[in-house]
Amino acid sequence: MSDSSSVGGTNIEGESPQLEPTIETDEATITDDAELERTLGLSGGLAIGIGTMIGAGIFVFPGLAAGRAGPAAAGSFAIGALVALLVALPASELATAMPKSGGGYYYISRGLGALAGTVVGLSLWFGLVFATAFYLVGFGYYAVDTLAELGVAVGDGLVIPLALLFGAGFTVLNVTGTENAAKLQNGIVALLLSILAVFLGYGGLDAVGLLGDPSTPEQFAPFGTMPVLTTAALVFTSYLGFAQVATVAGEMKDPGRNLPLAMVGSVLIVGVLYVATIFVATSAFGGDRLAELGETAMVEVGRHYLGAAGAVAIVFGGLLATMSSANASVLSTSRAIYAVSKDALLPRRASRINLRYGTPHVALGMAGGPILALVATGRVEVLAEVASFLHLVMYGLICVALLALRRDEPEWYDPDFRAPGYPVVPILGALASFALIGFMQRTSQLVGIAIMVATAGWYAYYARDVTLKGALQ
Amino acid sequence: MTRVLVPLAILEGESVSTGLPTLLATMDVTVLGYHVLPEQTPPDQARLQYEDRATDALVDLEAAFEAAGGSADHHLVFTHDREQTIDRIADETAADAYAITGTTGPVDRLLVTLTGDVAVDRITAFVTELVGDREIDVTLFLAADDESSGRESLASAATTLSESGIEVETELVVDVPPSEALVDTAAGHDAIVMGERAPSLRSFLFGEEAERVATESVGPVLVVRALEDS
Repeated sequence: MSDSSSVGGTNIEGESPQLEPTIETDEATITDDAELERTLGLSGGLAIGIGTMIGAGIFVFPGLAAGRAGPAAAGSFAIGALVALLVALPASELATAMPKSGGGYYYISRGLGALAGTVVGLSLWFGLVFATAFYLVGFGYYAVDTLAELGVAVGDGLVIPLALLFGAGFTVLNVTGTENAAKLQNGIVALLLSILAVFLGYGGLDAVGLLGDPSTPEQFAPFGTMPVLTTAALVFTSYLGFAQVATVAGEMKDPGRNLPLAMVGSVLIVGVLYVATIFVATSAFGGDRLAELGETAMVEVGRHYLGAAGAVAIVFGGLLATMSSANASVLSTSRAIYAVSKDALLPRRASRINLRYGTPHVALGMAGGPILALVATGRVEVLAEVASFLHLVMYGLICVALLALRRDEPEWYDPDFRAPGYPVVPILGALASFALIGFMQRTSQLVGIAIMVATAGWYAYYARDVTLKGALQ
Repeated sequence: MTRVLVPLAILEGESVSTGLPTLLATMDVTVLGYHVLPEQTPPDQARLQYEDRATDALVDLEAAFEAAGGSADHHLVFTHDREQTIDRIADETAADAYAITGTTGPVDRLLVTLTGDVAVDRITAFVTELVGDREIDVTLFLAADDESSGRESLASAATTLSESGIEVETELVVDVPPSEALVDTAAGHDAIVMGERAPSLRSFLFGEEAERVATESVGPVLVVRALEDS
């Protein structure tokens, strides 16, 4: 395990980035002494992307978003999809050039250097932690609603305790569980898509007046255009999943083909579903009513169209979706921490694997602990926005990294997929990502900035001498 | 040369008993050390932590195969999916057979079953090469539906082996569940050679039949792969 590159340097503990030459094939990564099997196919990649995203956008946000923007919330989701797409294309190019664990962190540290890398790598960790906390609170709401459907009315007071309980259990399961849940995740996503296809198909036909009584359409944008933009900033959390696909890039088969398809494909699929969901939801109830119903508004929408069966299906779907979002995010978090610690930006022991279960218990603990603390705050909107904030910074920088790499075209830079529309797409992607941050609540912006400043401070204290730019392994 | 792949869960202490290197002394051996990780763990992360330990163990094994007179190399793979890894390495190294390791001392008697989907002449060619000029007796086994045609193919396979100077006995069973009959016959033999079942090694290695044969027969099982090229 010797350094093979001139770049490197050491952190404050004397650890240096572990850089080794590798050969990437479609089926494995080959290092000097070992091979790393690529085991995720396209469906696995799509399941991670869609599974991460769908929980938030369909099962948590419709009520909140419609309350803010009325039926025009569909436009907010469409704006989110557009921004996500503008970033997914450059991110796909970088992912095929560097199909490694760590995703966005990896491209930015190699394209823009160690400072930007540390800020993004640690922000990605915190961003995922905020996102997971958000999914868990959503889960808590659905757990309470499930009990209500079963005839046990416990009230919203139990949302946070249930979310905490599940979050803790979930962290323990991730440390001790050696069963491969990947197939389960694929099944859950397939099941969710089926439920949604039936629900949106029926609801859509009903809403346009082909079935049932025609609904009276509300004014499209009752609050004007500004809420549409702020709502877009809020609901952008629904589009964070495509970057999670990149964190498992090192394990994707045929990455040159599967990574772009999984990233761009999952954004397109969930984008269409989100817009359709808002359309169906706002056709059932007015924005005010949806806002009153809050996080689990979709349950009532299900009841409106399909009666008790519809409500049960949505409650069940919501439980599954929020769980799968949380699961996929925790997996990404441990990979994000590993990628940073491998590069000596965090202590090496952060990526230790325990002998008993073969799981990265330190990294999982570094994910689980803060997640529980954040769940306890119960601030759904702030959690979602900070998660988006930290991801959007990374997205913007991914676009910048693409511009930097394309300008120099270093010798090692040989992506299988080249983003169309260069340089317009990455420039727009960067601008849109940074602009969306401007439409968030002040609290979220301050928390996000504080975290970034803290990560930059960490770099200055801990890893000042580490250099990573262009260090390909 | 004929190549045999020996997959081992290297970090879980799986190793080979002394008889296997001796049995495979006439072969090229690829030792495949694999380590299966839960999906929470990136394979690269496990590599950093375990690579040295696993490589040491593999180098020792390689030395054991070479000390017995064979030639050997090794692969070390960190994976989420054992079957995929074994299939890939088998294809890449163009292995003719896999070994499911078992416990054995010196091998004097080999049970070779012709039941299955791999062409008989491929199995006899493998056995001829494996036995070489050593004093290893072979029992040819076949479970057939039709007695006369079964007897015929056994006889012709036995002739092929005898021509290479191998002592051959034959055993034909008719209308009996093949794997149970095979396990019954395995008593008194030190190792088994069988053909892989269609469609892939996977269904053999991980199917019910394979587990029964491998666990009940204690000794190593060599599985001859079906030819994939052309």
